[in-house]
Amino acid sequence: MVWAHTVCSLLSYAAFLTAFVAGVLFLVQERQLKRKTMGVLFRRLPSLQALDRANFLAIGVGFALLSLGTAFGFLGAGRLLGRWWTGDPKEYLTVAMWGSYLALWLVRLGATLRGRRVALLSILGFGLVLFTLLGASRLLSSWHSYL
Amino acid sequence: MHIVIVGLNHHSAPIELRERFAFRREQLPGAFARLRSDVGLQEAAILSTCNRVEIYAGVPQLDGTIDRLCRFLSEHGGVAPEGLAASLYSLTEPESVRHLFSVASGLDSMVLGEGEILHQVKHAYEWARDEGATGKCFNALFQRALNAAKAVRTQTGIGRGSTSIGTVSVALSEKIFGSLSRATVLLIGAGKIGERTLKRLVDRGVREVRLMNRSLDRAVDLASGYRAIPVSLAQLPSQLLEADVILTSTSAPSYLLDRGAVAAAMRERRQRPLCIVDLGVPRNVEPAVAGLENVYLFDVDDLQGLVDSSQEERRQALDAAQGILAGKVDRFLAWWQEEELFACVPSSSGLAAAP
Repeated sequence: MVWAHTVCSLLSYAAFLTAFVAGVLFLVQERQLKRKTMGVLFRRLPSLQALDRANFLAIGVGFALLSLGTAFGFLGAGRLLGRWWTGDPKEYLTVAMWGSYLALWLVRLGATLRGRRVALLSILGFGLVLFTLLGASRLLSSWHSYL
Repeated sequence: MHIVIVGLNHHSAPIELRERFAFRREQLPGAFARLRSDVGLQEAAILSTCNRVEIYAGVPQLDGTIDRLCRFLSEHGGVAPEGLAASLYSLTEPESVRHLFSVASGLDSMVLGEGEILHQVKHAYEWARDEGATGKCFNALFQRALNAAKAVRTQTGIGRGSTSIGTVSVALSEKIFGSLSRATVLLIGAGKIGERTLKRLVDRGVREVRLMNRSLDRAVDLASGYRAIPVSLAQLPSQLLEADVILTSTSAPSYLLDRGAVAAAMRERRQRPLCIVDLGVPRNVEPAVAGLENVYLFDVDDLQGLVDSSQEERRQALDAAQGILAGKVDRFLAWWQEEELFACVPSSSGLAAAP
């Protein structure tokens, strides 16, 4: 249970990292297009549409993995500790992250926002991922202090 | 054997003269036969493109060959030799070898570094080879020239970037949409430059083309050439929702598309990206449209700026390209001299076998 929890969570972080990278590349490319410059980087980057799609896909996959990982976590805690919610800071952060990525994915799916803004949000979202991964262990006292 | 070139190109002769000398594929067998019998060539190849006609000749002795080649060309083009003298150039090795290498690499082209010439040289060689006109020397010469050209194109920036309004527009659209095979293109107006740009996009396999013009007749007319759908100007608002790439090329005195109209369309398109290429002078699209999210607007100056910068980039690569070619030319000449030397020895195998 704990094992599945760890693997799914880490894989979801990897997916969010992919979304982050696609988001950064999207912003670089879009900026060059808007400024009408074609630098060396410009030629090597994939198209905006490909980056946008990669970003959307990575967020979807990451969200699914995060849901699984969190579910395993709650189940594991329920079994080991007798209560599924322990009030650990990382639990709050993860729920916030889960909600943010769900919102981002829905916003993109509904095409209310598109392009630059989604790219920006996926970059911000990854900030939350990093804080959950590192900050929870370092700054706050947590069950999850392994780093 | 000497390697000689006689020909004319875009530097030496105007198009009216060049076009008279062009060789068609089916004329080549006869031409090679005459080059062998009348001019006395051992090996030959003919490079005939819209920018140049050149005869590559391999002869044992130079005496009079260049004159005979000039006469051959003057007969082929139906132009008196006296009228031709100023437009023809002739080169012998090592310049002739250097010339072929730089022609194949696009360094001698009208548009520096263009890649089409590489295929043209390849075809010229293959056609000559298939007609039995090339031998050991020309086989090696052309293969090495083609390899050198490929090396120059991959190792330097000589072929990089886009060098016309049309190709820049294609490159930009592909940077937004990736493949254009699912893109719908709307051309508004029937200007020359608009049509030329449309052609480039169609060459890249766009899914659908729509043509809009003040006179529907002209749109229908143009549409037949591109399997396109003619649409009337009144349909602009609905077409704005469906197109991925919009080309405008009209001489309208006021903006055809303003910020308000495009912003409204973008909301209705649910922010699906839109690329607008404004080829009109005065401009057909309000510049403020560029500020809208997910809209990418380029006007003629933007495109020309990109063309200029890639031409500048190619010019900067010129030195490096010439450096690479110089080494390859020297290596070919050294190889060829060695071959000639061996050819003078009556029986090299016998010599090697002697104690």
